[in-house]
Order: sequence, then structure tokens, then C-alpha cells
Amino acid sequence: MPMGHTATAQAGSGGLTATEHRLANGLRVVLSEDHLTPVAAVCLWYDVGSRHEVKGRTGLAHLFEHLMFQGSRQVQGNGHFELVQGAGGSLNGTTSFERTNYFETMPAHQLELALWLEADRMGSLLAALDEESMENQRDVVKNERRQRYDNVPYGTAFEKLTALVFPDGHPYHHTPIGSMADLDAATLEDARNFFRTYYAPNNAVLSVVGDIDPEQTLAWIEKYFGSIPPHDGKPEPRDGTLPEVIGEQLREVVEEDVPARALMAAYRLPADGTRACDAADLALTVLGGGESSRLHNRLVRRDRTAVAAGFGLLRLAGAPSMGWLDVKTSAGVEVPDIEAAVDEELARFAAEGPTAEEMERAQAQLEREWLDRLGTVAGRADELCRFAVLFGDPQLALTAVQRVLDVTADEVREVAAQQLRPDNRAVLVYEPAKADDGDQTDSDEEEGTDQ
Amino acid sequence: MSDAAVSLTTMEFHPQPKPGTPRVWAFPAPERGRLGNGLTVLRCHRPGQQVVAVEIVLDAPLDAEPEGLDGVATIMARALSEGTDKHTAEEFAAELERCGATLDAHADHPAVRVSLEVPASRLHKALGLLSDALRAPAFADDEVDRLVRNRLDEIPHETANPARRAAKQLSAELFPASSRMSRPRQGTEETVARIDAAAVRAFYEAHVRPASATAVVVGDLTGIDLDALLDETLGAWKGDAPRPRTAPPVTADDTGRVVIVDRPGAVQTQLLIGRVGPDRHDRVWPAQVVGTYCLGGTLTSRLDRVLREEKGYTYGVRAFGQVLRSLPDGTGAAMLAISGSVDTPNTGPALDDLWKVLRTLAAEGLTDAERDAAVHNLVGVAPLKYETAASVAGTLADQVEQHLPDDFQAQLYRRLDATGTVEATAAVVSAFPPDRLVTVLVGDAARIKEPVEALGLGEVTVVTG
Repeated sequence: MPMGHTATAQAGSGGLTATEHRLANGLRVVLSEDHLTPVAAVCLWYDVGSRHEVKGRTGLAHLFEHLMFQGSRQVQGNGHFELVQGAGGSLNGTTSFERTNYFETMPAHQLELALWLEADRMGSLLAALDEESMENQRDVVKNERRQRYDNVPYGTAFEKLTALVFPDGHPYHHTPIGSMADLDAATLEDARNFFRTYYAPNNAVLSVVGDIDPEQTLAWIEKYFGSIPPHDGKPEPRDGTLPEVIGEQLREVVEEDVPARALMAAYRLPADGTRACDAADLALTVLGGGESSRLHNRLVRRDRTAVAAGFGLLRLAGAPSMGWLDVKTSAGVEVPDIEAAVDEELARFAAEGPTAEEMERAQAQLEREWLDRLGTVAGRADELCRFAVLFGDPQLALTAVQRVLDVTADEVREVAAQQLRPDNRAVLVYEPAKADDGDQTDSDEEEGTDQ
Repeated sequence: MSDAAVSLTTMEFHPQPKPGTPRVWAFPAPERGRLGNGLTVLRCHRPGQQVVAVEIVLDAPLDAEPEGLDGVATIMARALSEGTDKHTAEEFAAELERCGATLDAHADHPAVRVSLEVPASRLHKALGLLSDALRAPAFADDEVDRLVRNRLDEIPHETANPARRAAKQLSAELFPASSRMSRPRQGTEETVARIDAAAVRAFYEAHVRPASATAVVVGDLTGIDLDALLDETLGAWKGDAPRPRTAPPVTADDTGRVVIVDRPGAVQTQLLIGRVGPDRHDRVWPAQVVGTYCLGGTLTSRLDRVLREEKGYTYGVRAFGQVLRSLPDGTGAAMLAISGSVDTPNTGPALDDLWKVLRTLAAEGLTDAERDAAVHNLVGVAPLKYETAASVAGTLADQVEQHLPDDFQAQLYRRLDATGTVEATAAVVSAFPPDRLVTVLVGDAARIKEPVEALGLGEVTVVTG
């Protein structure tokens, strides 16, 4: 009964519409009107991410994203930040495996400023990019790496799991933050070449969502972006195709200064954009999403062997998606006990599939997540770009929730049986280092070279 | 690739555009009412917001916890959703998620807060569950015991997290040991271990009742008969009249000093530099907000302009004011602090620069341009910040627990607009006096102690754990 329990008449889309346009230089544009609040979101996705990086230059796409905020021909220094924030806007950029995005949410009457700023850096970043910015942002990014990964317990788990699930040489083998050594090795010329290769109107999608006049908005976009020359010569990313299952259980045991033992695992799952990926999302939600999931009920409520237990899904379009299990053990509990319980639950689920009530719960949860994401102009702008860049059709964003609601229990069981298997996972076990063992702290050889 | 008709070789540049005409926006005014059982209700219709947010404010402050039972408010807040007179704990979680709802509860100095988010079409059912949780929580021995053990398991994770560890240490430094504010909000290993179902029920019975509680409901309420719905759900919650409450005044020792929490081998030093100052009932609050933004609100503020964008010592350092309790009689307080992390070898130089920024600010003051940028941002972002129902509900509930009028936030934007450079300077200099700040550093003492001592920021002590 996929339609029976939707929260809204037009599940998720709420009557939203989007129009598509293309400038002569190849820039794709998506517009969506919504006059409820006087705000407008601008979102620009460049079709470049860490999967485009080459060996020895990991982290370059993300470091480059920082450089995009260091000024362009008509924007001095930190002017991009100053102008947007001074206009009452908010802004940022992020880098993932498959894309780099930049976004501004503006009071509606300041929309033109955001478009002018994005166009200026798309067309003329190299007029301002210099050695000083490069050196400064290299240090900032290295400190970002330390703060978010190296100086927190389990901080490098995601990096380790990714490296296990995607073999050496695979474009997704390394994560967007990159390695300290590669961040040190990146040169100004690397950054310039990166811009020349990937930053072009014909390698980007621009979405504008909110309290806008579409005709006026399109005229501004034409005015500011229309004369930026396109260029070809972007190399295709290396093929990310992999066998559906790993074929064996990979395993790494880490002894580190962590507060408790942990069992983490990553599974290869169907690529984003497929019905099987939506089915996998539901499977992981039933198994490990929220407080009524099977693993939470088993490990946290009944066995009381875990302080937290859950599954997450990292959707990837150019490679298998990653299902990520994270269990932190309760005091005194050994990892094999947890592992046996997890295996038991996964095997039972693969055999029996979800109950009707579990399907209803999981679909209701994913539906609310979609309503949340589409409930802000910035969230909507980002989703429109995502579907345009990764799947060629922004309209898919407005029907995504319906596709999740259409999945059947059989399909959920099937994906679990095929892929949530011990021979399709990389396991990462954390064991706290003994207190008297001085060698265990993650010594960072790079830090001495800093300034 | 491109149209043959267009020649695209060089970009045409245009001058920076001028803004259009702003559309008027005001922070929403809630409608205030009261149910038959004494429960105060604030409601606010936000068209288009299909996920409705409900915030419950319970007058159960942390300083009401019995001596030696720190954490009982937290365990009670969590136990509200672990079974009722109609559902077991597992059933309750399942029923909530079946509505596509999320329910979070936490205890803080002013109040216990319960937050529900649910698609509007399932508001009725979710409000029924929320009402059950408030009206008839089961507090079963076994479930409370599980929550206590789970909480005990969480503590080592918080201790290992540099930012959480720094916050714990700063509270212990600033406030006298007799003050609840000196101790972790969610209790320590010692106090949490003492909590049982009887203690949870006693705390609930002493402090949780509809007549001293408020429900804030925000979202697209089109076609929803909220009065009928509330009567049927939260209206069924009964309780006696609340007793008047007094709050002890907040005092803090901000003698300039440094405490290093030793983390051998740490690649970064987590810093948290703070003291206690005026809260939202103080007339200086708007000027303090503007001045604090100029000091460390964003990456183009004074601190990051040097520490991040010039020196590259950090991913970002922020200055902020966070209300601890805000009371009409002027005895409330806010934590005023600067936080961030810097790489280990540059800890000394980074702190040196940070104090130079503070001293320069005190000596020379803010510029008009800085004040303008801050005010334009703080006022201009309001419609963005309050796009979702949850953000509006959160602010309305904050106003309730801080005893502020319902139009406080709306008026705040006018007062921010009216704040001048001189006032903002005076407020921030008074908020962050260079010689009256307590500095907590979570980092490798062997490598940072000596360079920090050389800065003369006060006595430097090292603690472990």
C-alpha cells in the first residue's frame, strides 16, 4: 500500500515546480518559485569532486573550494563572504566525492548580488589567485583535517572504511579531505590547472529557488554568466564500477586512544539513482535508523551491549553506495558478541524481509526527511542541482519521495539478501589502546612542517 | 558546444549590482492561550511548513535536582519517551516513528525541553503520544536502569571529545562548587549511578505539571482544528498548582588564568576562553550581540581575519554569548566565550595573536563599517534563519524559558538596528576584558605549557582526565 500512508497529497513535492534553461555557453539553469518567505537560494554545483583527483594530489578539489572564497577579478580578498553576509545572506561551499557545491541564501532583494559574485569567480578566479592565498588556505585545510578527523576519537574511521570498500586505484578510494602529504604537495599551478579543467559554465548547474521573478532572474543570469567562455577537455573521471559484492570480508583492527570498543562496517550497495538504492535506504532504516530499528532494539534495548547502534547510507552515483554500520560498545562488552548479534539480525532480515509495519515506519521516516530537505529554499536548490548534475534531470528531485514510497517489502528483502552479507563488507574494529602504551597516539608527521 | 552565433572568448564584466527593494518581514507573533488544565499554549501558523514543530517547556530547572543526583532531570527527560500507560518503550518508539515523527528531550539550566517534529497530517496522532509521555510516563525500573547505564556509557565519549571536555572544565573553573552550573548538565559517573526509577518519578512529581508548562506549536496549520486537537491530547494531562520557584544568583570567578587539560600527543589544542556576563534581560544585550559578532561571529570577524585568514592557525575561532539562565530580576547570566582549535606547535603564537586582537579592540574600538556589516547581517538573515517551523518554535520556547515577552525577538531586530558603534564597542570590550578571562586548553601540556606561560595570561595549571 505505497500510497496509503503518505503525509501529503503530493508526497514531498507539495505542488512545487521547476523550470529548466540552458545558456549558449552550456550553463544549465533550474528555477523554482516560492513566494512564502522573502528569501532566495542560489546553488551552484560543479561536476567535480575528489573522484576526479589523481594519485599524489588527494584533497585538491576541497582545497580548491577554499580558494574560491579568496577573491576574483572584481572581488577583493574575502569580499565574497563580506558582501554576502553584509547583505544579510548566508553562504558556504562543500566538496564530496562527486561534486563541489557553492551556495548563498539571500534576502530576495539581494539575489542579483549573489549571482554577480558566483559569475565573477566562475569567470575570473585566476585573476586573483596567488601564492599567499594558496599557502594560507593550505594551512587552514590542514587544521580542518586535524579538527574534524585527526584530533577526535574514531575521526578517521570513515577514511579507513572507504579505503577498504574501494580498492587502491579506485577513484573513491580516498576521501575528499585528502592526506596531509598531498595537501603539502599541492602547488599553485595545480590549483590553476584544476580551475582551467573543471570550472566552466558547461560543467556546472545553477539553481535559484524562492521569492524570485523567473524572467528577471534568467535575464540576470544571462547578463552575468552568459559571456563566460565554455571549455572542453575535462577528462572523464576514472570508471567507478565495481562488482556488486566485495567477495570476501575485509577487516582492519585499530588500536587507538578511543573511549570504547567499536564495531564499524561498510557494505557495497546499489548506486544512487536506482530503485534498488531506495530499497537499500529502506533496509538500512528498518535495521538501523532511529530508535525503533532492529539493531537499536536488539543491542541497545535488549542485549544492552551497545551505547549506540545504527546504519547510515552514503548515496553515490558513480560507484556503489556505501552502507555504514556504527556500533559503540557498552563497558566491558567484547566486539565478537556484537558482531554475532549483528550477523544474526542481518541474516534474519535477509530471510524474512521487513514487516508491513516496519515498512510503514521506515517510509514515514524517509518521507519526513524529504519534507525537511525540501522545506527550505536552500535545501530545494541543492536537491535540484543534485538531480541535474548526477542524473541529468532536476525534476527527479520533486518526485524522489514518491519513489521511496513505491518500493515494496520484497525489494527491500532482496537487496538485503544480495548485499548486506558478510562477504560484502569491510569491518573496522576499534580496541582502546592500553594506557601505558606510548606508541598508540596517532602521530602526525606533518605537523612539524607547519610554518 | 556553444551556439555558433555567439562568440565566447572573453568574459564581459559588470559593476556590482545594487539591491532591490526589500520586502517587509517580521519575526512571527504567536497567539497565546491557556488550556483548561493550565497549560500555556503559543501557536503560530507558518504557511508552507509541512513539518510541524512542537516545543514543550517544563519548569524543571537543573538546580531543582536533589543534592547528589545530578543528571536526574536528564534521565527523566529521556524516560518520558520510554513507555506510557498505553505503550511499552519499544511500542512507543515504533508508534512515533510510524507517524514520521522525531521526539527529543533534554534538560538544561532553565528547563526541561521536549521537542516534537511531525508532518502536519499526522500531528493529531503524534500529539496524542506526546501527551501520553507527559501525562502518564511509565518510568519502569528496567527502562530507567537501562537509561542510567546508557548514560554512564556515554560519559567516556564526552570526556574524549576535546570540545566537550573543555566546556566541562570551564564550568568547573568559573562557578563555585555549590552552584549547579559548575557541574556537568547531565551528571557525573558518581551521581548518575545513584539514579533509579523512584528518583526519576519523585523529580517528575515534584516539577512536571501542566500549569507550569508551555506548549509551542508552529507550522502550516491549514485545515487543522488545533483547539480541539489540543483539548483532546495535551488537555488530558492533569496536575496540581505549581509552587513558586526561586533561583540562586549566578556568581563566577573570572580571575585571569589558564588550565591545561593534558592530552599527550594531541595534534591540536582545543581552546575555550570565557567568563560570565549580561543575559537577555540586560539592556546591553543587543549591543553585546553586535560587538561579539564583530569580534568573532564569522570568518571575516576580527579573530578569524588574523588567526585563520592571515595566519592559518585554525579552521575557525568563534566568539559567542550563550544564555545560561535569563531572569527578569537581573540575576540571570550568559556564558561569554571564544572557542576553536589551533594546531599544537602554533598554540602559543595563536593565543598571543588572540590577546592582541582583544587589546587592540579595547584600545581602538570598532569601526563604523564593522558595526554596519554586523547589523546588516544579524538583522538581514532573520527571514532565512526562521524559514522552518522548528527554528521559530525553538526561539519562542527559548523566550518562554527565559521569561521574556513573546515579542522579544521581533523587538530585538529593532534594537540591533538602533545599536551604534560606540555602544557595540563598549559592550564587547566589557564582555571580553583581556585580563578577566578563564582559558581552558585541551592539548599536549608538554608542548604547549611553556609557550603559554610566556604570554602572562595568569597562573597556568595542568590537569588530567
